[in-house]
Formats: sequence, C-alpha cells, structure tokens
Amino acid sequence: MAGIIDVPKPRINCSMLLQHINQAVCFVCRVSKVHPSGKTFTAVDGEGKTVTVELNCCLEEELSGVVEVIGLVSNKGVLMAATYNLLREDRGTPFDLELYNEALKVIHDFPQHYPFEAAVSG
Amino acid sequence: MTSNSGLPRFRLMMSDGQHALSSFLLTTQLNHLPEQKLLVQHCICMLKKVVTSTLADGRTAVTVMDMEVVQSAEETGGRIGNPTPYNKDGQMSSPAKKSSATLEPDSSSATAPGPSYRSTSFSRSNAAQSSPTNSPMKVSPMKDTNSPMKFSPAKGTNSPMKFSPAKGSNSPMKASSSSPMKVFPISTLNPYQSKWTIRARVTNKSNVRQWSNSRGEGKLFSFEVVDESVSKETFFFCFMSAYCVTHGCFCFLHTMKYAGQQGEIKITAFNNEVDKFFSLLEQGKVYYISKATLKVANKQYSTLKNDYEMTLHAHSSIVPCEDNQSIPAMNCNFVQIEELENRDKDAIIDVIGICKKAEDVSRITTKNSREVSKRALHLIDSSCKEVIATLWGEEAEKFDGSGQPVVAIKGARLSDFGGRSLSALFSSTIMVNPDIPEAFRLRAWYDREGYAVNSQSLTERRSTNSGSRMNWKTLSDVKNENMGHEEKAEYFSCLATVVYMRKENCVYQACPSADCNKKVIIQHNGLYRCEKCNREFSDFKYRFLLSANLADFGDNQWVTCFQETAEVLLGHSAQTLGQLRETDEAAFDEVFQKANFRTHIFKNRVKLETYNDESRVKVTVMEVLPVDHREYSRRLLSNIRRLAC
Repeated sequence: MAGIIDVPKPRINCSMLLQHINQAVCFVCRVSKVHPSGKTFTAVDGEGKTVTVELNCCLEEELSGVVEVIGLVSNKGVLMAATYNLLREDRGTPFDLELYNEALKVIHDFPQHYPFEAAVSG
Repeated sequence: MTSNSGLPRFRLMMSDGQHALSSFLLTTQLNHLPEQKLLVQHCICMLKKVVTSTLADGRTAVTVMDMEVVQSAEETGGRIGNPTPYNKDGQMSSPAKKSSATLEPDSSSATAPGPSYRSTSFSRSNAAQSSPTNSPMKVSPMKDTNSPMKFSPAKGTNSPMKFSPAKGSNSPMKASSSSPMKVFPISTLNPYQSKWTIRARVTNKSNVRQWSNSRGEGKLFSFEVVDESVSKETFFFCFMSAYCVTHGCFCFLHTMKYAGQQGEIKITAFNNEVDKFFSLLEQGKVYYISKATLKVANKQYSTLKNDYEMTLHAHSSIVPCEDNQSIPAMNCNFVQIEELENRDKDAIIDVIGICKKAEDVSRITTKNSREVSKRALHLIDSSCKEVIATLWGEEAEKFDGSGQPVVAIKGARLSDFGGRSLSALFSSTIMVNPDIPEAFRLRAWYDREGYAVNSQSLTERRSTNSGSRMNWKTLSDVKNENMGHEEKAEYFSCLATVVYMRKENCVYQACPSADCNKKVIIQHNGLYRCEKCNREFSDFKYRFLLSANLADFGDNQWVTCFQETAEVLLGHSAQTLGQLRETDEAAFDEVFQKANFRTHIFKNRVKLETYNDESRVKVTVMEVLPVDHREYSRRLLSNIRRLAC
C-alpha cells in the first residue's frame, strides 16, 4: 500500500472512524483480543470504544499493549491495517491512552492550529 | 409623637389645597415652632428646605428642614379646599394612625414638595455604599442641636467615630432595650452601643480549640449567626421615623420588621464562656443574644459582611428562641468546582459536591511537631470537575464517606496546592447530605449521569514537588512581564531545552573548607589562599559555576547554575569535570555534547542584581527536574481548554 505512505494520515479515534471512510488514518489503540486466525484483532481507543483491525498478513507473534496502526478505513468502519508498530511498555513512561485521546480532541477541535495536511504536502 | 429620647418628633399633615400628605416630618431643629404654638393647625407655611426620600416599601417621607409660617391659623381661618389624601402607589398611612402629638396644619406650601420628588438626599446615596453597622449612630444626633451636622456624616465616611458614645446613651435604643424582647438587627450593632439584643440563627459553629503559648493557655470556639436585618437605607430613617410594617405607622419604638438584607456576625467565646455556651448553642437554632463586646472584625479570619465581630463575656446572655419564622436558614454561596480555578488562592469559599471517594484518615506531624489527623475527599459536582477537599482533626476522623454522600463545606479555604484544592478551616462547617435543594439536585445529577463522568481533577496529586507552588511561565514571559525588576526576587518554573553551555570557566577552584565556597587565589608558593577563611590551603575543591542558555518555543534565556543544578545538567560532579578539563579534553567536550539539547523542567529565581553600578536582571536555576510528559501534557491541555473559552 504505497499510496498510504505519502498521504497525510490524521490521527483519529473510534468516534471519528465513520468520517474517514476510505481514507488513510493513524489509529493508536490498546489491543484487547486477537482473533485465533491471527488476521484480525479488536482494540480499544482512549475513550474505551472498540475498533476492529484487519491485517494483510498474519500475526506471527502475540500482540498486546498499545499499538499504532496505519491503514484505511473500510466502508464498514473496520481498519484495514497497512502497517503497525508497538509502543513498548517496558521502556520509558507507559503510554497514557486517555491523555492521547484528550490531545486528539484538541487537534480536531482546532484544525486551524494543526494544519497537518499542509505540513505533509508542503 | 414622641421619640424615646424625650425629644418630641412632630409629624405634619400638610396639604396644598388639593392633596394632603401626612408623611411630613419636622426636623427637631424646628420643634420650637409647634411648641411655641407658632405652627398650629391650619396655618400656612412656606417649606423652604425639604428632603424627600423613599422608604424600602415605596412610601415617601418628606422631612422639613426649614420652614416659615407665612400666615397664621387665625388669618387663614380654617381648612383650605378639600384636600384628599395623596396616594402614591396606593400606599398611604391612614390619618387614624397618627399619634396625639401630631399637628395637622392645613397649609399651603409654596414649594409644594410632592412625593414625586426623587430624593437627592444624602441618606439614599450613602446608604447604598456604606455598611449597615454604621447606621445606628445616626440615631444619636437626634438630641444634637446642630442639626445640619446630623446629616453630614452621611456624606462622609460614615465612621461611628463622628459621634461620641455619650450621645449614644440617649439613643432610642436604650429605652427599647429595657424590654428584653426589643430585637435589633445585627446590621445595627456597633461598639458604641451597649444595650441590645439580637435574634439570630447559628449558621456555623466551630469546635473548641485549645492553645498553649508563652502567655498561657486557653480555649475558644466561634460561631456565626444570621438574622433578618435591615438595609442601612431603611434603618437610616429610623430616627426620622421609618414606616413600621408591623404596626403600620411611623415610629421606631417597635420592633422593625421589613424586607431587608440579612445581617451576619461572627461571635467568639473564650475560656469560661466556652464552658457556658458551647453545649447550649446548636447549629441551625435561633437564639436571643445580648450583652457581648463588639470590636472591629479581623477580616483575615472571617469573610462575613460585617465590620464588627462579637466576643462573649461573663455577662453575656444567650437564650433559645422558639419563634423562628423570620430568621433565614443557613446562607451558603456555593461555587462550582470548575469555577475554583478562577478564584484567588486563600479565598474563603462555600462548596458542595458528591464525595466520589474519601481517602482513609491519616495522621501527619505538622511543623510545630503537632500530630493531626487529615482526610482527603474527592468532590465532584455538575460542572464535571473534581477537587480534593481536606478535612482535619475530629472532622476528618468521624467523616463517613460511604454511599458517596453529598458534602457541603461552608467557609473552606481555596489553596493552590496541587493546582487548586480546598482545606477545611477551624471555622468551616462540614455538612453531610444536608437538607437543602442544592444537595438534592446534586444527588439527582450524580445518580443519573455524574457517576459515569470522566472528570478532571483540579488537584494534581502527582506533582513532583507537592509542597511548593509551581509558577509556570514561558521564557518569553520573563521579558514580557518584566520579571525580577522589583526589589524582591521572583520565582518561576518552566520547561526549556539547554542549547548552549559555556565550557570555559564552568568550574572554579574553591576553598576546601566545608561551607566555604569562596574562590581561592593561587599563590606563588603553590598554596591556595582563601580570603574569607584567611587561610592557606594546599588543595582546593572544584565547584560549578555554569553559564547556560536555555530556550523554548518562544525565547531564550541565559541562566546561571551552581553546584547541584549544574551536576544534574552535566551528569558529572564538579570534581570529575575539573579533572577531565586538565587531563582529557575530548572527554571533557563530550560531557557537554551529551548534555546539550536536553529538555528539563527548571525552577528559577529572577532578581535584579547590581554589580559595580550596573543593574541587570539575572536568572539563577534553583532546581532541575526531569520532564513529566504526562503532567506537562495535562497542563497544556487544560491551558488550551481554558484559553479556548
């Protein structure tokens, strides 16, 4: 999914999923349950709402903790992951998902002060 | 009618041939007119100077300050015209209520003052500004023959000092107080009046507090009372005879009862009086209180609206009162928790909230080596903000937070500890599940939605230096706000990045004796001399004197770091660095490389320093702390939200 890399990827949470259908987004969430097939997992965002993430390739190892997923939002509100990276809990300060959610709300409440799209393209 | 001071007060019914009004009062200056039969019924007078005022109930009273009889009653020969009672707003005292001494001259008045006058009189304009407690002094000038002076204090500061207490002894109050049921409004109490009784409800009763100092020991307790009091304006007319609602007449002999603002006052009892009255007084009950000492209030300990406060003494009398209807109940002015951020620290606040969580009671030792219990309550209200309120002593111990009760605190102190927090004072009242509408509203809100709210607490418990108050500034604030330009040093905290450090002279050779940090001079004999200790040493110790430049998004600032703070920045002791400087230059440079462009929290002191006639604002780093990103983020988020409103 090369198209995803150069494109601005707004950070969102579950409540904003439906406004970004068919768009590339960045989603930070905490893994709750991995499907036995290893192809999909459910995760919880900073507000406690659940999102389903689908991977293009199988998970080799067990996934847990806070993960940052970059992908496309499907018409059904499922996140089709292109890539993901785990935010390690064992080093540094543990990631505060609720605080991240608060920051997310600020970014979306004041888009005029956070022109991310311009930053990426410019 | 007769005033109680013995001086008659004449009320006149005057007519202009068309209307009659009986709310004319004759100033006592002119008492000689009716007394000497110069002013009799049916004579015609010219009212040269009058003062019109409106009473609280809308009625108008006109005081005749100066008048002249222009035609005697004989010449006039009877009533002129057929005047009807002048009705303004339909309120009019019926003539039947006049007392015997009232004259009823039917006279035409040249100036025809009508109730339509809006008064420019002193009394009204000043009444609005001055405190109710000063009004009784106005009563005393009644006997004062210099009647113009009578009114001047109203224009002035209204200080009771203008009237000597001697005058007060003849005040109408005295006569009234002979009967114990003559109740006075709290707003009229002042130190110059000794005989009074108030009828009030206890709104706030503190616990007994004992003390022991070099002068001895003792105990005290204090309580606050409230009654239905009159506004200064309406009371002012008391000596001109105000309209008494109870009896429907102009008089001041009777208990005044009119709609007015409440009066409140703080009362303290010491030692013996504590034993006498502590168990008698119950919060919420009404008592008749008389014979206590009035003195100027210590505003530091009370925010009641009264210039005075009361101290009970051996002759004080407190009697329970059964008749409670007119006394207002607890008077609380609750502030929403989210609003607390905007209030100044040390303000006395009333607050009400649901106690979401009550921590366990803990015992701590104060700096006076006293042990005291404390308990922190997490209060939340419908503003969806939380705050921590701390209870002390017995209140902390007996508090039961089960069931998430509604907790109301009257008179708590707002502190900036941890941002914003509340502390119960000795004089505060803690109410659990009080029987007031706000409590029911809170309960309903909480049960319905409040319990699930993800509230933000105004009290940041996790702040690293919980004792000190962080005055957060940005580096541009230092210059913009002209910080440190006053004689006093200012302190602030900021988040900044080290962008440069001066390597040369970052360490100096200091006197090796403990506590002496003076720079030593290298002598020709190879010894090191300290001027302060006046000694020579064979050795020295390295100490830091680091000059660094800090920067944030907006500005940069040169600062000085001494031993401890420089060590934190560089990660090495002064001794190590001093030696590296001599031995291994590359390693020395590397220390600075690694320390550069690191971000820390700096606690700084800004002060104007003068050196050889030159004054410069200097910033010294007092402490270097690691950045707590979560706390910093939370602060930024709350700043953003606050600025966005």
